[in-house]
Amino acid sequence: MPAESGKRFKPSKYVPVSAAAIFLVGATTLFFAFTCPGLSRYVSPAVPIYNAIVFLFVLANFSMATFMDPGIFPRAEEDEDKEDDFRAPLYKTVEIKGIQVRMKWCATCRFYRPPRCSHCSVCDNCVEEFDHHCPWVNNCIGRRNYRYFFLFLLSLTVHIMGVFGFGLLYVLSHVEELSGVCTAVTMAVMCVAGLFFIPVAGLTGFHVVLVARGRTTNEQVTGKFRGGVNPFTNGCCNNVSRVLCSSPAPRYLGRPKKEKTIVIRPPFLRPEVSDGQITVKIMDNGIQGELRRTKSKGSLEITESQSADAEPPPPPKPDLSRYTGLRTHLNLAANEDSSLLSKDSPPTPTMYKYRPGYSSSSTSAAMPHSSSAKLSRGDSLKEPTSIAESSRHPSYRSEPSLEPESFRSPTFGKSFHFDPLSSGSRSSSLKSAQGTGFELGQLQSIRSEGTTSTSYKSLANQTRNGSLSYDSLLTPSDSPDFESVQAGPEPDTPLGYTSPFLSARLAQQREAERHPHLVPTGPAHQEPSPVRYDNLSRHIVASLQEREKLLRQSPPLPGREEEPGLGDSGIQSTPGSGHAPRTSSSSDDSKRSPLGKTPLGRPAVPRFGKPDGLRGRGLGSPESGPTAPYLGRSMSYSSQKAQPGVSETEEVALQPLLTPKDEVQLKTAYSKSNGQPKSIGSASPGPGQPPLSSPTRGGVKKVSGVGGTTYEISV
Amino acid sequence: MATEVHNLQELRRSASLATKIFIQRDYSDGTICQFQTKFPPELDGRIERQLFEETVKTLNGFYAEAEKIGGSSYLEGCLACATAYFIFLCMETHYEKVLKKITRYIQEQNEKIFAPRGLLLTDPVERGMRVVSIYEDRCSSGSSSSGSSSSASGSSSGGGGGAGSR
Repeated sequence: MPAESGKRFKPSKYVPVSAAAIFLVGATTLFFAFTCPGLSRYVSPAVPIYNAIVFLFVLANFSMATFMDPGIFPRAEEDEDKEDDFRAPLYKTVEIKGIQVRMKWCATCRFYRPPRCSHCSVCDNCVEEFDHHCPWVNNCIGRRNYRYFFLFLLSLTVHIMGVFGFGLLYVLSHVEELSGVCTAVTMAVMCVAGLFFIPVAGLTGFHVVLVARGRTTNEQVTGKFRGGVNPFTNGCCNNVSRVLCSSPAPRYLGRPKKEKTIVIRPPFLRPEVSDGQITVKIMDNGIQGELRRTKSKGSLEITESQSADAEPPPPPKPDLSRYTGLRTHLNLAANEDSSLLSKDSPPTPTMYKYRPGYSSSSTSAAMPHSSSAKLSRGDSLKEPTSIAESSRHPSYRSEPSLEPESFRSPTFGKSFHFDPLSSGSRSSSLKSAQGTGFELGQLQSIRSEGTTSTSYKSLANQTRNGSLSYDSLLTPSDSPDFESVQAGPEPDTPLGYTSPFLSARLAQQREAERHPHLVPTGPAHQEPSPVRYDNLSRHIVASLQEREKLLRQSPPLPGREEEPGLGDSGIQSTPGSGHAPRTSSSSDDSKRSPLGKTPLGRPAVPRFGKPDGLRGRGLGSPESGPTAPYLGRSMSYSSQKAQPGVSETEEVALQPLLTPKDEVQLKTAYSKSNGQPKSIGSASPGPGQPPLSSPTRGGVKKVSGVGGTTYEISV
Repeated sequence: MATEVHNLQELRRSASLATKIFIQRDYSDGTICQFQTKFPPELDGRIERQLFEETVKTLNGFYAEAEKIGGSSYLEGCLACATAYFIFLCMETHYEKVLKKITRYIQEQNEKIFAPRGLLLTDPVERGMRVVSIYEDRCSSGSSSSGSSSSASGSSSGGGGGAGSR
């Protein structure tokens, strides 16, 4: 049995190509045998020669179309996709001549399909510039053999017309002997030719139009550019010349690999680098590093965001695996995250808008909200603000893997929406998952990761449940079809990120709406500031800074809740000053570790105190009730922590926790800050500037989360 | 002072010892083959920016030359048609010729610039021209900043001798 192992031999797939070959060769042979001798005698000997040349041309193109590699991409090696394929987003958007084009993750081939590439289910290969799978040649038509297929169609049309025409001529000149063998055969050949002429000519005309417009059959049939602009066209003449006159593209499979030897001799050259630059590389997790390298936050941010774009954007590591515990996290995070992050390749420059310089601004702003550890302490009030700040940190925007249109961070909107609604349901699951108190946040992060603007690769196989839940949360309006969306600048989205799920956009809009509602909850709260995605991280950083200031200014109070940023900082803890890079880097689907925040939290905020008391706090000030719609994560931290004198280690611990979640957390943080009532803003500690807007009082919905924390979500 | 001979294939196989940095394609101009010239942060400290950018720009130039539609490619197509494509058995296409030039160029760059820095550039055609991968030799990065993307704390084996661990 030939079909036991490997590919099954399916004779059925050879039927069309066999039939086509038989008809073509058979009919033409009959034509040559029966019609051409008479024609050469009566008309001219050039007739058979002409027909022979055309037939040879048809055969050559038919063979090339059948046997030539259409441009199959080899499967990506394992090193290209270091992360699990269910963590990275399903889509990656790239801007081509101003038009956003989505690149989909191919689970089989394990890379993001280049534009115009598609996976053929018949051949089980990704084909470059995939046109269609032609059963008549039993091969995919792609970049390499499209020219031959097109010429085959043209020549076949010409050939059919010639056969039919000359056969008719023969018959008309032999009307008196219609029953003769030659004439009968000629008439049969004419019938076959006439029968095939209509579909072949139709297909030829169709492809002539396609070539003129610079489209592939796949694009035409799926309506990708219907009513839109085709970014792949260069004008009719250039399109035609590109199809017919360009040099045949090379094949990727079966290339000979030569072993090359390179002699590497020490000493190895190293360009001069400053410590600041060096530290940048450690992305999340290097809590120690973060502490020392506050200065490099900015650069860290930059580098983080740039490296976010890996070929298969590794999903934000912050998943469950990371949350084995604070301790483990601490131990593992540094190596894991940094290595993971570092492996990301620089994001596509066009895919996201990177905003540098957050570190400087955010650092100052974050001062009041520093001491991310406070969040864990239960400074719910503060937390949201800091979180909001951090989430707004511009670094998020540089999420390359996400569709850049108005969606800054896929998780922002998504997680944001999730938090309030799913907090209750998730808390239990989260709890079981970890026990560190981040449960909610983690779950959210996980969810948010999954539902990040483009569901993760793993969800590709699923129905994107995450996004569905989003949609239910948000106004289910638009369909996530961004493929040929014009990349117009979104006025309210500094990041050119568009989520395939419009829900993210809605979330963003909602955030914008909510911004005005934020009101500082306590006296210590900072003045409300509209929470926006882009400012989120800044706010968080600001809150962290403020916290630090507070710490310095007054002895840390256990029950002090004036650190709005605690919660935020806890979550965003990473961002801290210069966290921006982290967030931005985290923006990249794969990893956004809020490591950057950790350094800010360094000043150890013992404010957490009263974990119990603060649990219900969310983001508000101590006196204010549990109003702050605090980011669930931060809350969980604080509640679990229950350590009034939160020490630096706690902060640090928080941070590593955060980092693993990294983008997820950050995203949720962002989303929270955005979507959630600006209660986060209120979390900012009293003194110092109130970078974060306090949670709004009006229309606030309280959702209880894990550990008794309540989140206020402004409705 | 030891001279380590690194077989490129061997370095690639020993993935655990190498960190890989990927330079993605730049699709801003359509599907023409060009790579992003943005400097990856992981290489910060390993190689000078100018060298890196120059390498990528040269590669992009090569690919542009390969895909150029001009008289030579047109004639090549006509010749192929006239010979019913049998000419492809004897002659290699213009694109393949440029690919060979690219391979030679990459080899030369590796020898002169990348290998002394513990890096290795791979030919993108091996991965379907989707990405240029740079293999970073962790062992040789000991002298570099600790924050290097290689991240492996063990990578700092110290000095060039560490490279011989492979």
